[in-house]
Amino acid sequence: MLKYNAMIVIKAQGLTKVYNPDTVPVHALRSVDLEVHQGEFTAIVGPSGSGKTTLLNILGGLDRPTAGKVWINGTDISTLSENKLIDFRRDHIGFVFQSYNLIPVLTARENAEFVMLLQKWPRAERLARTEQLLREVGLADKMDYRPSQLSGGQQQRVAVVRALAPKPRFILADEPTANLDSVSTRNLLDIMARLNEEERVTFLFSTHDQRVIERARRVVTLEDGKIVADETFDR
Amino acid sequence: MIFRIAWRNIWRSPLRSWVVIVAIAMGVWAVIFLMGFSIGMGNSYVVSAIRLEVSHIQLHHPEYLKDFDVRYYIERADTLAREVAQEAGVRHVSPRTLVHGMVATARGSRALRVRGIDPQAEAAISQLDAKLVEGAYLPQGKRHAIYMGKKLAERLGVRLRSRVVLTFQDIDGHITSAAFRVAGLFDTNNNAFEESTALVRREVLNEILGYTGIAHEVAVLLDDAALADTVAARLQARFPQLDVQTYVQRSPEIRLFESQISTSVYIIMVIVMLGLIFGIINTMLMAVLERVRELGMLMAIGMNRFRIFAMIVLETVMLGVVGTPMGIALGAVMIQWFQIHGLDLSHYAQEGLAEFGISAIIYPDVYPGMYVELAIAVFITAMLGSIYPALKAIHLRPVEALRKI
Repeated sequence: MLKYNAMIVIKAQGLTKVYNPDTVPVHALRSVDLEVHQGEFTAIVGPSGSGKTTLLNILGGLDRPTAGKVWINGTDISTLSENKLIDFRRDHIGFVFQSYNLIPVLTARENAEFVMLLQKWPRAERLARTEQLLREVGLADKMDYRPSQLSGGQQQRVAVVRALAPKPRFILADEPTANLDSVSTRNLLDIMARLNEEERVTFLFSTHDQRVIERARRVVTLEDGKIVADETFDR
Repeated sequence: MIFRIAWRNIWRSPLRSWVVIVAIAMGVWAVIFLMGFSIGMGNSYVVSAIRLEVSHIQLHHPEYLKDFDVRYYIERADTLAREVAQEAGVRHVSPRTLVHGMVATARGSRALRVRGIDPQAEAAISQLDAKLVEGAYLPQGKRHAIYMGKKLAERLGVRLRSRVVLTFQDIDGHITSAAFRVAGLFDTNNNAFEESTALVRREVLNEILGYTGIAHEVAVLLDDAALADTVAARLQARFPQLDVQTYVQRSPEIRLFESQISTSVYIIMVIVMLGLIFGIINTMLMAVLERVRELGMLMAIGMNRFRIFAMIVLETVMLGVVGTPMGIALGAVMIQWFQIHGLDLSHYAQEGLAEFGISAIIYPDVYPGMYVELAIAVFITAMLGSIYPALKAIHLRPVEALRKI
């Protein structure tokens, strides 16, 4: 079992998000406090409208809270400008989306190395790492395929490699299995769990897929914008 | 990588990209043709004016051009012509005796400018021998032959072998007349010249004026019009007693016409580029709006706004990079073809063009650097056309863009 070390990767305090505050206010998050440690494999769950995607977007720097703060590895990201936030995401956070993850005109290899390219990794290291990871996720023979030539599960695996390759602080995955069949889901989860163990990368999911929830070692339950449960499992 | 993504992105929708590329190519082609046509028309006017009227350089008595008074002549004009012909850059020289008088026929009379010429020397400059349509060009043995424009003959109601009487003031101030026979008719597509000028032998005209070996004008044709200022300066220094003028000085409207042509071609270019720019904006805006989610994803994973802006601009410029050479190639081929065969407008505007001294057969022409200027214009147009779509792209908020369906 992976033991969490004391290092806090994400710290959220008093996070509140209200949409349309001047017209018909929608309270998506209500003063949420959360700490995520290095190496966690955590699922944020809840019914539709519970605020899990909103929470993930704010933790990932894609959205700004109405109130509250977020620290990523000690940096208060609420103080960063939009342009600096983009750079911060590039350097510290990996993303796996539900769909439209990949750049359609690039091959699997080119997609996988894309963020490393943005970070200006040397070519040899970049290629070596992405090819190694693509092999590990079972895509050794698909490296030169475009996304349109890959299945949904294969595309998500490429997205995981892209998120993981530049060694981010943590990876945010928003409903990564929503469009996958059960076999692809199982394969993807196996890969992410293995990479979580081997690379010690923190994974934070937003999901209502029971198959994902059953694999998570920590499950944070949201309801009406509040954390109603936070459970740790020995798996 | 941005170049690679941009290049591949433009081929995601091949039909749409080809529509823009062909539009750019057609725009470039159209501009080349219009510019070539305008320049060709301008050249026709200038060449006609130089050949028939002002030459590249003319030498006169300093007082002659004030009133065109026959008393102000150049002595020993043949010797002068031989000396001028030896100057570097001079191709042909033709001394001319000029009188302004009247021509009378049985039908009536009208004002006329009579040019006394040495047929061979004059033909080298004005090429009027090549414009012969009836009869002969001042044939040997016919001293009192007159060579006139077909239009003038029609106005006077004369034809070949008709008799005309020229009346003018001689150098001593006496009114004198002489009879001539129409030996040949020419057609220059220059109505103004044809209806106002007739040619006779210079030695005959000088005899009538009572002086030999004189001329009122020594016309000079150069190897290259660009040499006019330089050669004129040398001639003026060598012959300070004469008035030496270039064609620009003799006919400022030539320079005006040239600058009007030049201005109009740039206006044409701007208008075509403006049309292109809206097509480009429309296409690239569609390309951006179709890729909102993808652009949101790119910003989410860390592609900064500058790179996204650059990517959109690059895509647009690349469309221009593909379309421009196509348009230039088409335009160049068309220009080449029409430079050999000419564009015949005689069915549409022969008379109108002739009034301005422009041939009905236009030979389009291009100037060095025109293709480069066009390529730069398309590049600038593409850059400007890409700005709005690129700004639209970078102002997307990732969280909203990702939610788009």
